[in-house]
Amino acid sequence: MSGGAAAVELRAAASPAWGASLGRWLWLGPLLLTMLLPFAWMAAISLAPRAGGSFARAAAGPWDLSSYRALFASAHLGRYLLNSAAVATAVVLLNVATAATVGYVLGRRRVPGEKLWTLGIVATLMLPKQVLMVPLYLVMARLHLLDTYAALVLPFAVDAFSVFLVRQYVLGLPIELEEAARVDGASDWVIFRAVVLPLMKPVLAVVAIQSFLTNWNSFLFPLIFVDSDRLRTLPVGLALLSQTEHSVDWGFLMAGSTVASLPVLAVFLLFQRHILSGLLAGAEK
Amino acid sequence: MGTPARRPGGRGASPATSWAFLSPWALAFGLFGLYPFAFSLFASFTDYSPVRAAGARFVGLGNYARALHDPAFWSALGNTALFVVGTIPFTTALALALALAVQPAFRGRSLFRTGFFLPSVVSVVVLSLVFKGLYAPNGSLNGLLAALHLPTPAWLLDPDTALPAIMAMDVWSASGYYMVIFLAGLEAIPRDLYEAARLEGATARDQLVHITLPLLRPTLLFVLVVNTIRSLQIFAEVFVMTRGGPLHRTTTVVYYLYEQAFYRFDLGYASALAYLLFVLTLALAWLQMRAVGRPVEVSA
Repeated sequence: MSGGAAAVELRAAASPAWGASLGRWLWLGPLLLTMLLPFAWMAAISLAPRAGGSFARAAAGPWDLSSYRALFASAHLGRYLLNSAAVATAVVLLNVATAATVGYVLGRRRVPGEKLWTLGIVATLMLPKQVLMVPLYLVMARLHLLDTYAALVLPFAVDAFSVFLVRQYVLGLPIELEEAARVDGASDWVIFRAVVLPLMKPVLAVVAIQSFLTNWNSFLFPLIFVDSDRLRTLPVGLALLSQTEHSVDWGFLMAGSTVASLPVLAVFLLFQRHILSGLLAGAEK
Repeated sequence: MGTPARRPGGRGASPATSWAFLSPWALAFGLFGLYPFAFSLFASFTDYSPVRAAGARFVGLGNYARALHDPAFWSALGNTALFVVGTIPFTTALALALALAVQPAFRGRSLFRTGFFLPSVVSVVVLSLVFKGLYAPNGSLNGLLAALHLPTPAWLLDPDTALPAIMAMDVWSASGYYMVIFLAGLEAIPRDLYEAARLEGATARDQLVHITLPLLRPTLLFVLVVNTIRSLQIFAEVFVMTRGGPLHRTTTVVYYLYEQAFYRFDLGYASALAYLLFVLTLALAWLQMRAVGRPVEVSA
């Protein structure tokens, strides 16, 4: 994992001169701008509500924040935002906690049938969750959890990919420190808290960021598990808003889209190295 | 099973603690994995529907037989297959081209790597809303096409262009993600192979054809299969942009499944459809394991 992560670091170690790079800029630059054009459209339309979705008119201005104001005033966007933040926080915390403990045990082979457990995790990993859409819905109904926050959190509290990442990381950690602590009479829990957990920080950061991105953007399950408007997360709220009388209110919808994108863009730009290393660990499994 | 409880790595560990540490996963896996999985297998043999007063009746393989004779299901499968076949070659080619373009060291390389990856971190709902706006009959895309004197179709409102329009968005949004996977594959190729080739007078094109592409094969297979499995699950795009229309031409398998389960509440039938999708996905996942597990020969 660390090899791949180091290999695809975003920063070039020793950059050549600007002159030699110019050739690449000449054709990659326009390509990148074209690919990012939809985001420019999103931002421009959100600021120019009278443009009616026309890029040219939006670019000419005038720009104001009236779409954003309308969004928070008339729709429950603030509520959706809070829901998304609360659910994402809970899922991230639970994910980090369960990945740390389960991944540690599996990495240290402390249970009978460790191979079988790990195989089970890898199998779950291969399977997209969508195939469980109907069965999970039925189980949530039986547990009377439909239309509650618990439905948005509990099924996603343990993530196979996160557990697997931590397990792989623990396999590469030296065991000597743990053994020394044990000789000194430390209990299992103390060893985990004081010795292992600090060493696991880098991989737990990857787990936290990945599960934040996945959960913040999650759509299908929040859509089917929740019915009440007050429990909707941002993607669901936005998708359903777009199918009401606001369906061609592009300033309004793009303001919502911008609000939904800013947190993930911020997390991505701040932690891009962690994100890519997690992605590559997945590719190398 | 049958593995001894204490192996070299686990010296002195207490099994009780280990089980305590493992229990959250076991609980979640049982409750939200195995149990629904088994329960829905059972449901797929019944005509269970929560909106009907009568209880569920056992219908045997009836739901599976119904799926095989359901033209709407076949049409959804066909749309999904078209989506897979029509996007994956383009996404793969674009991702590989981008990876090759941003691999060598040059000033500002990180900017391009970050920029191309950007669409991958944004919610599909947001991407779909943006493209729905761009594709509007009098929207910005058609404005541009009109200025260039090109035809201006109704995109998402026209049965013939709706699915291709969604596919184009998918190619755009997914290529950055697979670019990063290709980059990892490229970085894993030993530098000295290129050195040796250069000493023997190989051109850049020779190196690409005889070193890079053959050694990238495992990455390529991985990308192909992961992308296929992902494409089988396309849902949010359809929900936001077309709701399966016009004329059901954008109804994918997962969207059809969603309609059967949550509009018609035909949960027995939907469970059977989910199992069929599961088998299809599993077959592809198996292919993926085989493809990735295969060793590559280095012929230098």
